[in-house]
Amino acid sequence: MHDARDAEDRRLLEAGEHKLLLAAYFHPVRERCFLRLRDRAAGDEAAQRVFLRLLEELRRGKVYRVPYRVVVWMVCEWTLGGFWPGAKHEGTLPEEWDATASDAFAEWEDDHDLGVLLAGLPPRQREVLDLRYREGLGPEQIAERLGITRNAVDQALHNGHRKLREALGA
Amino acid sequence: MPEGVFDLFDEYAAAYARGERPQARAYLERAGEGADELARLLEVFVQAAPVPPPDEDTVALVGAWLEGQPPLVELRARRGVRVEDVVEALVSGLGLDPAKRAKVKRYYQRLEGGLLEPAGVAAAVWRVLGELVPRAEEAAGWRPEQAAAGAYLRVSGAVPAAGATGRARAAPGEPDEIDRLFLSGG
Repeated sequence: MHDARDAEDRRLLEAGEHKLLLAAYFHPVRERCFLRLRDRAAGDEAAQRVFLRLLEELRRGKVYRVPYRVVVWMVCEWTLGGFWPGAKHEGTLPEEWDATASDAFAEWEDDHDLGVLLAGLPPRQREVLDLRYREGLGPEQIAERLGITRNAVDQALHNGHRKLREALGA
Repeated sequence: MPEGVFDLFDEYAAAYARGERPQARAYLERAGEGADELARLLEVFVQAAPVPPPDEDTVALVGAWLEGQPPLVELRARRGVRVEDVVEALVSGLGLDPAKRAKVKRYYQRLEGGLLEPAGVAAAVWRVLGELVPRAEEAAGWRPEQAAAGAYLRVSGAVPAAGATGRARAAPGEPDEIDRLFLSGG
């Protein structure tokens, strides 16, 4: 599910297009920081720290063997773990981390990949939820795309949602 | 888990997939008692979902931030909106005393320069500002890179640093309506 994004990130990394690379993660990082801290000002401060760390590594020419989105979310987690507004230093932000240990992130990726979360669903529910959450299609559009009735879409959404709740830990 | 929470999750997730940059804060407000559950769901989702490509405003905002320029200035300038246009909109839109236009202008320029805490700015100001410069509130929360680095190193609990990262204070005397709009949420 992340193939296109991962390929684009690799291209931007190789081309040194830091602005475009970071811009892609601006909204996701900002949202995640707000959702964790539940305060917009604190969330923005944390998000900026994430970006400062990412930028520092980019400017150093750090090479990663994991997808860049994994790097972004790892830095986010470390920053949020030791964060409080106005703090001088985050105790949990590692100076160096082994981005070559790609296996270490395999388990993380499994828990943070929508495709994996949907994989356990029956095929029709998976198809419908994939179109809903990967392309943002409405129920009528999904029905037209898959050549099924609106009622079939609604049923698949209802049943798929119940299982997705469990997968997301609700 | 309340059914409404997952309906809100579904709405947010679909909007996110379409690249509409939904704001979680608004959804959490709608969730009421279910806000904690919704926040947990959305936090997992934004990490698991494919990242949509950024729009032009986001690229401009991040670009300005990286170059040490105030993102809000960049977004305003891209739309050909002058500071005077913003000031006029604020004065007329908020029913302020035209004789205090200069004061409004000073506050707005501080806001652009990252010298005001966005959290202290009233919702009414953001509403008027947002009509001229969409995403103004978002941009104002991001200080230029160097200023952000300075804040990063600021000692916890210390008096706010002077200069670029300092917090603006009201002029001596009783705070007036304009002071309250820009410093204490209205």
